[in-house]
Amino acid sequence: MRHLVFLLPALLLLLALPDTRGRYNDDFDDGEDIAEFDDNDFAEFEDVSEDSAVDVEKEPPPRAAPPSIPVEDDEDEATVENEDGQDEFEDADAQDQDMYSKYDNEEFEGYEKTNPSFKDTLIYREVPAHLQNSWESYYMEILMVTGLLAYIMNYIIGKNKNSRLAQAWFNSHRELLESNFALVGDDGTSKEATSTGKLNQENEHIYNLWCSGRVCCEGMLIQLKFLKRQDLLNVLSRMMRPACDQVQVKVTLNDEDMDTFVFAVGSRKAMARLQKELQDLSEFCGDKPKSGTKYGIPDSLAILSEMGEVTDGVMDSKMVHYLTTHADKIESIHFSDQFSGPKVMQEEGQPLKLPETKKTLLFTFNVPGMGNTSPKDMDSLLPLMNMVIYSIDKLKKLRLNREGKQKADRNRARVEENFLKHTHAQRQEAAQTRREEKKRAEKERIMNEEDPDRQRRLEEAAQRREQKKLEKKQMKMKQIKVKAM
Amino acid sequence: MTVNNMADPRRPTKIFRYKPPNTETNPTLEDPTPDYMNLLGMIFSMCGLMLKLKWCAWIAVYCSFISFANSRSSEDTKQMMSSFMLSISAVVMSYLQNPQPMSPPW
Repeated sequence: MRHLVFLLPALLLLLALPDTRGRYNDDFDDGEDIAEFDDNDFAEFEDVSEDSAVDVEKEPPPRAAPPSIPVEDDEDEATVENEDGQDEFEDADAQDQDMYSKYDNEEFEGYEKTNPSFKDTLIYREVPAHLQNSWESYYMEILMVTGLLAYIMNYIIGKNKNSRLAQAWFNSHRELLESNFALVGDDGTSKEATSTGKLNQENEHIYNLWCSGRVCCEGMLIQLKFLKRQDLLNVLSRMMRPACDQVQVKVTLNDEDMDTFVFAVGSRKAMARLQKELQDLSEFCGDKPKSGTKYGIPDSLAILSEMGEVTDGVMDSKMVHYLTTHADKIESIHFSDQFSGPKVMQEEGQPLKLPETKKTLLFTFNVPGMGNTSPKDMDSLLPLMNMVIYSIDKLKKLRLNREGKQKADRNRARVEENFLKHTHAQRQEAAQTRREEKKRAEKERIMNEEDPDRQRRLEEAAQRREQKKLEKKQMKMKQIKVKAM
Repeated sequence: MTVNNMADPRRPTKIFRYKPPNTETNPTLEDPTPDYMNLLGMIFSMCGLMLKLKWCAWIAVYCSFISFANSRSSEDTKQMMSSFMLSISAVVMSYLQNPQPMSPPW
């Protein structure tokens, strides 16, 4: 019994030992120990694995290890920051080690062997690009968006430039036009014919202006055909193939304003092209474009004319002066009483009639600058507009002499005949089908007629008509035979 | 100047109204670019949507932009807007279905 009595305090002392050690430590430390285990159930294992990794080869320290040994162990560990901390935690670590020392050894047998090889075979899997959270992988998309932005910027810049050029042209020509035409600017939509006084924008690169109300002409349509500066693709293609802005003037005349002839002058290239493309030039001016040096104009310009008299009449001194001074700006000048536009592709089986013609003067001018035009360059086109006005007045007075007129008439008759010949077969077919349609319609009418009397009468009338036709034909045949004889 | 300074060449009584040239009889006058680009844009956007090709959708956006830049002012804006919206939707759908970035063909 007495032994028991002595054993009890000993047991109590043993139990109190950890308490004293705990009291040796700061309260903070003690609380931390408990908190560690409370918050993170695996904290103990964490500490254990660290200690065992470091201390695997060392002998596990005895259970009731004095503080000195844990100090040594702690020194080996690299994670302790300061001595105070070391002092605080060393006991806790020692405690863990004491508790799990045997477990450590058994658990991590052969650990070192596997460790290096595991590191060698570590494979880094590539994270898919869209999960990488980096913008660099989307560089193609960024490129596309940049391209679009560049296109939009070019659109705005190009549109503004074209608009400024058009306005500059109009400002420099306004006075001349307003002094010559009663109506300057009309889009055709307003009820009354009042001058709008501004250009009609058809496109971002085409501007129209209609002027009317003058002697010697019906009206004048001016088209400012600029380059497509608003389209980036066009800008890039122009870097390889330069082109220039054009001003096209089309003057439509009344019948009495011009005599019957066809004439054209312009750059050699343009003349060759127009001769192939245009209906009237190909029919009436069959010869190749001739050089105009005889009249004093530069060699770069060529002439297409229906007859020599026309050229002589058109090429007066003032005209020659205009052509010589502004030869670089003139693409083509075309006077025609048979103008019907470019050659129309004829479809098979379609009965054709001659295309409608209109007395027209066409001028095509190149704006200087070859694409790099500035608004100031528009002023240089003013003399050319003067030339247009001059031509309108001149052609009113230009009349062919008798010989010339006869020749012109013969030419036109020839062209018409040719046309009729070519379409003869088609027209015959068309006439035949029309006749058959008529007969069928009549027959149907007769059949549909309910009254038998009327039916009979209609049939008789039809028969009589047929008889008459046959007789006429016979008469014709007889006449032909008589003539032949 | 050949204008007779004494007489005014203007004749208010001889005014003719402007008649826009009939492009049906003369189809060569019209520029076919906006119509072609519109059609091309629609085809590419349908390809992009159906076949889930991102580059098709991007080209469709470009086509609709080019068509808009070349269009005439008299043309219907609804047509332009519809092709534009279609191409944008093609791009968006392609990326929603497959957010991976576009890989270059080289």
